Amino acid sequence: MSEKNDLFTLAEFDERESEHIAAPRYSYWKSVWRTFVSNKFVVAVCIFMIIVVLFAMIQPMFSHYDPMYAPNINDPSSKFLGPSSEHLFGTDNIGRDLFDAVWAGARNSLIIGFGCTLINMILGIIVGAIWGFSKKVDVWMIEVYNVVSNVPFLLLAMILSYVLGSGFKSLIFIMCVTNWIYVAYFIRTQVMIIRDREYNLASKCLGTSTWTIITKNILPYLISVIMTYISREIPSNISYEVFLSYLGLGLGQQNASLGRMISAYTSYMTGYPHLFWIPVSLLAIISVSLYLVGQALADASDPRTHR
Amino acid sequence: MSNNKEVLLSVRGVDISFDKGGKKPFRAVKNANFDIYRGETFSLVGESGSGKTTIGRAIMRINELSKGEIYFKGKKISGKISKEDDREVIRSIQMIFQDPAASLNERANIEYCVSEGLYNFHLYKDEKDRIAKVDKALEDVGLLPEHKSRYPHEFSGGQRQRVGIARAMIMEPELIVADEPISALDVSIRAQVLNLMNKLKEEKGLTYLFIAHDLSVVRFISDRIAVIHLGRIVEIAETEELFKHPLHPYTISLLSAVPMPDPQIEKPKKHVVYDESKRDHSGEKPILQEIRPGHLVFANDREMKEYEAKLQEMEKLEASDK
Repeated sequence: MSEKNDLFTLAEFDERESEHIAAPRYSYWKSVWRTFVSNKFVVAVCIFMIIVVLFAMIQPMFSHYDPMYAPNINDPSSKFLGPSSEHLFGTDNIGRDLFDAVWAGARNSLIIGFGCTLINMILGIIVGAIWGFSKKVDVWMIEVYNVVSNVPFLLLAMILSYVLGSGFKSLIFIMCVTNWIYVAYFIRTQVMIIRDREYNLASKCLGTSTWTIITKNILPYLISVIMTYISREIPSNISYEVFLSYLGLGLGQQNASLGRMISAYTSYMTGYPHLFWIPVSLLAIISVSLYLVGQALADASDPRTHR
Repeated sequence: MSNNKEVLLSVRGVDISFDKGGKKPFRAVKNANFDIYRGETFSLVGESGSGKTTIGRAIMRINELSKGEIYFKGKKISGKISKEDDREVIRSIQMIFQDPAASLNERANIEYCVSEGLYNFHLYKDEKDRIAKVDKALEDVGLLPEHKSRYPHEFSGGQRQRVGIARAMIMEPELIVADEPISALDVSIRAQVLNLMNKLKEEKGLTYLFIAHDLSVVRFISDRIAVIHLGRIVEIAETEELFKHPLHPYTISLLSAVPMPDPQIEKPKKHVVYDESKRDHSGEKPILQEIRPGHLVFANDREMKEYEAKLQEMEKLEASDK
C-alpha cells in the first residue's frame, strides 16, 4: 500500500480550469457567419448570385439598352440570329441584341423584386409585430385584413395602373400597396405562437418593456422564419412583375423587363428557342440561388446549429 | 409564532376566473386567504389543475384577479397601481419558473438572460459592474462565469434552472415565487436545486412561496403549508403539524399518496381517495377557520366539531405514546 503511495501522486483536477477551456467566448453573428460559410455549396451559389446581380446592375450602364431603339428593324439579315461572338445571345425578331436586353430586363426585375420585398418586409414586420402582440390592435386589424384580402389583387392592380400610369414607381407602389398586409398577417401569426411562451412571461416578470420583448425575445426567434419568407418573397415578387408585365399592367414598352420579354418570345419557343429559354433560365437562376442562399442563412441564424 | 412576525405578503379573498365574458366563467381560485411572513417558506400544495400556479401568477400580476386584493408589505399590488409601485414590486417579487427549458430565451446568451433585470432597472454603475454582478450571480448558483457567453440549449436541465434562479436572485428580491421549480428536473438534481434554494434563502434572507405537488419535497423545504383543492384552500398549518395532524379529508388523501421507500409500510398502506361529491354537505357553508393557533381548516361548525374530536384523540394518543 505504501509502495503505491510512493509511486503515484494524485493529480489535482480543477473543474474550473477545464470549463474555462471548454467554454470559449463566442458571439452570435460570428457563429452565424461561420455556420453559413461552412456550407461550401451555398457559398459558391452565393458568389455566383452576387456576380449575376452585379453584372445585371452594371452591364446596362454600358450597353444603354433601350427597348424602343431598334435600328436594325428593317434589316432582315440581322433578325433571329443565333448566339455568336458578335451577339452573345443572338438577336430577336426586330434585330435587337438579346444579351443587352436580358441584362437590362434582369436589372429592372431585380430592382423591383428587391425593392418590393424590402418595403413589404419592413412594413409587414413592424405592423405584424404590434398586431400579434396587442390584442386590442388585433381586433380591428383582423377586420382590415379581411377587407383587404377579399379585394382581388388583379382588379386593384388594373385600376391603379390605369390611374397611375405604367412605370417604375407606380409598379412598385401597386406591388406594395396591399401586399405588406399579408406579410404582417404572417408575422402576426408567428408572434402569437410564441407571445405567451413562458420565457416571455419571465421577461415580463423581470420588468422588460413590451418593445424590448418584441425586439429581443420574439424577433430573434423569427429570424429564420423571416429569412425563409424573404427567400421566397424575392423570387415571387420577380415573377409577379413578370406576370403583371405579361398582362400588360407592369412596366411599359419603354422599360426592359424579363416578363415582357418572356411573354413576347413565347411564340418563338419552337422556331428560335434561345429567345425564350435564355430569359427564362436567367430568371430561374436568380430565383433558385436566392432561395438557396436564403435557406442557408435561415439555418445559420438558429443557434442550435452552431458548434 | 405567527403574531410576532412581519407579514410580507397577504392574499385576501382572492377569486380568479377565466373566460369571464363567456357563458361559463371558470373559477380557478375561490376565495383564497393566506399570509406569508418574512423569512419563511410557504408552500402551496395541490393536485394539478387546483389553481396553485394561478395564485402564483396572480401574485406576479400575470393573472388578473376577479375579486379580492393582494398586499405586499401592506401595500396593495393587485389591480391598477402607480408606475413607481409597479417597478418596486417587480424588483421585490421574482419568480422561478417550472420549465427551465421554456422559461429562458433561446436566442439570448446566458449573460443577457441573467442581466435582463439589471438592464431594465439600470441596477449597475457601468459595464464592468454589470459583468461583475452577473459573474457573482452565476457563481452563487454554482455556475461558472465562463458560461455566460453560451446559449441555454447548451446546458442541462439543472443548469438551466440555476440560470433561472440566478436571473431572479440578481434583482435582490424579497419574495420569490417558485412555481414547481423542480418538477421538470431529474430526481438526481432535485436535491441540488432545493439545497441551493435553501442556501440562498439563508444567505439573502429571502422568503419563498413554493408551489409544488410533491409532498415529500414540500416537507423538506417549507415552514408552513397550504393545501389547495379545486381552487379552494382546505387546510393551512405548519409543516410538522400538518403531517402529524392532517384534518381535512383531502389532506389525508394527499398524504396517503406519498410513496414510502419501505415495503413494510408501503404494502399495508391504503390509499385514501378523496371525492368531493361524496362528502356530507349538510349544514351551513364551510369557511376557513382556525382550529389550533396557526392551523386552519376549511369546515363548517358541524365538521369543526368532528375535527376537534379527531384532533383531541390524536393528541391523546401521542401523549400516551410518550
